[in-house]
Amino acid sequence: MNRWKKKQPKPIKPNKRPKLAGEGFGGRLGYFASRALTNIRQNVFVNVVTIGTITLALLIVALFLLIFVNLESAADTWSERVQVTAYFDHELAQQEQTALRGKISAIPGTAKVTYVSRDEALKRFKSRLRGQETLLEGVRSEVLPTSIEIALKKSYRDSGMIEAYVASLKRISGISEVQYGEEWVQRFNTFLNFMRLVGALLGGFLVIAVLFIVSNTIKLTIYARRDELEVMSLVGATRFFIKAPFLIEGIIQGGSGALLAMGLLYGLYEGFLHNAGSLLTFNPTTAGLAFLPSEYVGGIILAGILLGFIGSITSLKRFITV
Amino acid sequence: MIQLHNVSLAYQKDATALNAIDLRIEKGEFVFLTGPSGAGKTTLLRLLYGALTPTSGQVLIDGQNVSRMPASQIPHLRRMVGVVFQDFKLLSNRTVFENVAITLEVLGWGRVDIGKKVMHTLRQMGMESKINLTTERLSGGEQQRVALARALVNDPKILLADEPTGNLDDANKNQILNIFKEANIRGTTVVVATHDRRLIEHAHKRLVILNKGEIVEQVEEETTQANQAQ
Repeated sequence: MNRWKKKQPKPIKPNKRPKLAGEGFGGRLGYFASRALTNIRQNVFVNVVTIGTITLALLIVALFLLIFVNLESAADTWSERVQVTAYFDHELAQQEQTALRGKISAIPGTAKVTYVSRDEALKRFKSRLRGQETLLEGVRSEVLPTSIEIALKKSYRDSGMIEAYVASLKRISGISEVQYGEEWVQRFNTFLNFMRLVGALLGGFLVIAVLFIVSNTIKLTIYARRDELEVMSLVGATRFFIKAPFLIEGIIQGGSGALLAMGLLYGLYEGFLHNAGSLLTFNPTTAGLAFLPSEYVGGIILAGILLGFIGSITSLKRFITV
Repeated sequence: MIQLHNVSLAYQKDATALNAIDLRIEKGEFVFLTGPSGAGKTTLLRLLYGALTPTSGQVLIDGQNVSRMPASQIPHLRRMVGVVFQDFKLLSNRTVFENVAITLEVLGWGRVDIGKKVMHTLRQMGMESKINLTTERLSGGEQQRVALARALVNDPKILLADEPTGNLDDANKNQILNIFKEANIRGTTVVVATHDRRLIEHAHKRLVILNKGEIVEQVEEETTQANQAQ
């Protein structure tokens, strides 16, 4: 007779144990956190190496980001020079100005509309020729055209968008001659695109390198403690029980690395602002150099935490066999 | 308690480690597995704590079919099986106390109860004065007793030991054997893999002799006692 089929095996229940403090999710989390801190204390060298690596890796990325953000903001300032001007051969009456303003403002992309009268044009001309005013002696404002200067919204400042904008502008009756410095806009846009492409390529390479270095460092630290993983598994720990302290450790390593990187970056930034003036042709304090915006800082810290967490989870997968 | 039915295991196609093993170990029994090196003793023990799955046949522990057990159930099996490994598998950067406590931490015991139970077990092993030493500072015999304490601290239903007296002197061997016997008296089923003839002769327990992955002979407890009396 087949003895095996006769008995319906009962599922294994965990051994009876005393009802204790530290039960439930909160208690377990407390246990895992204290286990993670003990692990860090017991493996100081390995943790210092990991945090150091994460700090340096994130510092390089953050430094790159800082330079990029400042270049973008400088480019943004320059792009404010991109404006469209419509010329008129006569002075516009107040009513005509209002009507035109209304029509122009209705075109998407219009940021600001300014009417430049003949007198205003002459004043600007004179101010540009400061010191050589004699050249303008006898010149009257009637020889100059009146104009409407239109500042564009940021997203409308590239050549394609400007061309479309100008086409719509020309459809307004009364506007015939429009200028916007095509060549300058094109050159500026080419420069911006080149800068962004180089930035994306360099940034991409940096991020890949950082991911590779950090994930391998974490892998090595976990490899160094594979005995611990094995013993835990052999005494009946579940996968989650084995992993949880390591994941918390990864989060602590990533978070501390990112915080340290931000601290170091801020130190470098302040140091540069106050000491680089003597080495450079411009004064960095007045050049409008800014530190990373707070959302970038938050993003980098979050990235550090995620890096530690994901690095640990993927490395653990390799070493936990049960 | 432990039943192996027609169990075979091959690490590779041509290398059979165990061949058609039929073995039944009752609850509370004390059994020695013996045989020359490569006979399959360690492989058989590894089947019993779910570190290996048989190529064919059934392994039942306490009514549970280990061969078909999902990975998520293996930890629960291991909580009722204490294992003493040939190489001890102690964590060298942790203290004696921490090495033993790990078994109870896994079960979710609280700190105070862990402290009491670990101290009690270490006292039984005569290791209470060394609780704060890291295991790398212990002698072979002491490390063996810590490994035993870790395996026994949660009163497992089954105790498996792989060559537990490998490099120990006679005094240490006797001490280890006594610890096994005491655990057995408390109701734990004990399975010891060894080729230490002296240990087997002293113990007068059931003997299962393996060779080339097959059980070649089984000697019952009464017979070993009778042989000893002669």
